[in-house]
Amino acid sequence: MKIVGVTACTAGIAHTYMAQSALEKAAKADGYQAKIETQGAMGAENELTEDEIANADVVILGVDVSIEGRERFDGKKVYETSVSRCVTEPQKVIEDAINS
Amino acid sequence: MKKVLTQFKNHAMTGVSYMIPTVTVGGILFALALAFSGGATVSNPFLANIEAIGSAGMALLVPVLAGYISYSIAGRPGLVPGLILGYMAANPMGPNKVVTGFLGGLLMGFLAGYLSKWVKGWKAPSFIKPLMPIIVIPLVVVLILGLFYIYVVATPLGAMVSGLTAWLKSMSTGSAIMLAVVVGAMISFDMGGPFNKIAYTTGVALIATGDGHLMGMAGVAICVPPIGLGLASLILRSRFTDEERNSGKAAIVMGACGITEGAIPFAAADPLRVIPSIMIGSACGSVVAAIGNASNMAPLGGLLVLPVVTNALWYVLGVIVGVAVVVLLMALLKKPIKTAEVNAKATA
Repeated sequence: MKIVGVTACTAGIAHTYMAQSALEKAAKADGYQAKIETQGAMGAENELTEDEIANADVVILGVDVSIEGRERFDGKKVYETSVSRCVTEPQKVIEDAINS
Repeated sequence: MKKVLTQFKNHAMTGVSYMIPTVTVGGILFALALAFSGGATVSNPFLANIEAIGSAGMALLVPVLAGYISYSIAGRPGLVPGLILGYMAANPMGPNKVVTGFLGGLLMGFLAGYLSKWVKGWKAPSFIKPLMPIIVIPLVVVLILGLFYIYVVATPLGAMVSGLTAWLKSMSTGSAIMLAVVVGAMISFDMGGPFNKIAYTTGVALIATGDGHLMGMAGVAICVPPIGLGLASLILRSRFTDEERNSGKAAIVMGACGITEGAIPFAAADPLRVIPSIMIGSACGSVVAAIGNASNMAPLGGLLVLPVVTNALWYVLGVIVGVAVVVLLMALLKKPIKTAEVNAKATA
């Protein structure tokens, strides 16, 4: 199972990155591969490549604000939720995303 | 319905998120210029230039807000129409030189976004297609909404905004305590969102008339949520996760710099306990500032503005009281996280 995703919170300095590490850790614990792009106040970091998106089974968007490049995920299975859920219950978010 | 509301909120918060640096740059440079002048007026030419740079930052607050709300709704073609309409809201327009400020920018940002999105969907002949994003969309949107703003929106909304400002100003001489409660609660309610910015921009408008008391109350209220919650996460170790403690340290710094948004991670994780607590904390802090007649002549909250605050001891006391109230309420309301849960989170 390959997961890609984007996280973005309002201030873009703390929660964006907390959600990223929570999701990546939770995915690893479940034996999945995950790469999460952050769109914080510094702009996009850890950017997803076209190949990574093409090979992903599911896309998780943990976003409280609009993000750049949403059209990259057109045609993919996209699961959208809030940043805070990714921080507080990353495992559940991943499970829901896969079953969505 | 819930989805529509979430989308609305996301658009507004996108605007706010891009807007934050204008407030910090503008506010900090303003405060610096005032602090080194030692008074309410800046006379030194170099400091006046610093103040002018700060004003440039503040002048972009509403345009950037409107521009990025519109951008969030319509994508790239929405950005410039939103910026232009936001500029109109921030500057005197029409025969009566109406300024609608933050509220006007918020409204025009949404209208610009939805109209741009609609025009974007028009089926245009192929030779016009390339002209859509650079001529048709901006021109149609700005012309229609610009006229709509000047002839329909500006007068009633401007009257509402100046009425609100006048009402708050009249309260600041009469029932200052009541005003402090309202301002404090508004500042904390959405931590940098529309309610917060209405209270904040009203405070800024009153500074322009030479009255810094409302901004004094707001300045205290602004920094209470991030500092209070940050401190709570460090003191009440059993009630916060390690991640929260990390963002808690950042939140304290943000609070000192007058950025309420630092509190958002905490509120997002546990809104029902956190938001009422910080509203009460900010209100208490503002009341102390009001009792002590603290006045802040810089368009920024937090501790960075202390050099330009009159009755600064009361201002600091307000911050201390507000922060103490938040920490106390967190101690009472937050339940200790179960150890298993903490471990699960640490390894998750």
